[in-house]
Amino acid sequence: MNAKIALLLLLGLTVAPVSQAQIKHIEMRVEGMT
Amino acid sequence: MKQHLGRQSGVQSVDVSLIDGKVEIAPKKDGRIDPPQLLKAVYDSGVSVAEMEITAQGKVVRDSSGHLTLSVSPNQSFLISPNDLSKELEPLANNQATITIRGQLYKKSEGKKRTKPDTSAPLKLLILEIQRKE
Repeated sequence: MNAKIALLLLLGLTVAPVSQAQIKHIEMRVEGMT
Repeated sequence: MKQHLGRQSGVQSVDVSLIDGKVEIAPKKDGRIDPPQLLKAVYDSGVSVAEMEITAQGKVVRDSSGHLTLSVSPNQSFLISPNDLSKELEPLANNQATITIRGQLYKKSEGKKRTKPDTSAPLKLLILEIQRKE
């Protein structure tokens, strides 16, 4: 049981930082817009 | 163009400024946004992208060829173009540190008129600013 909890904690620690990673904002300069 | 971009996967909102020709895209918090697909969507709507910049949070990872990449999700990463700022990221490679950067993903070739962006090759990320290292 303790091993399962430890495994879940370990998974949480490794997955959490990855889920924070992402593209936050995109900006484009375009030509030919009227 | 705004509607066209708004229909793309992972796009939360699109703001278009006709005065300075700027298009700002806010991605969905839990969605995967695909920059090459956005370039294609803009081209398909009849205008061309002169430049594309992103602000992204991710991890610096050295790929199997030894090149630095910014991994923004388990299955999305961008090859980092070497410059002075990319040198600062080299010690962070594969050490699980999360960084936030602003970088240029696309710039139209000088002198060319409306050209279809080449989305077959992976986009390279030129680091313009390192905003945060954690």
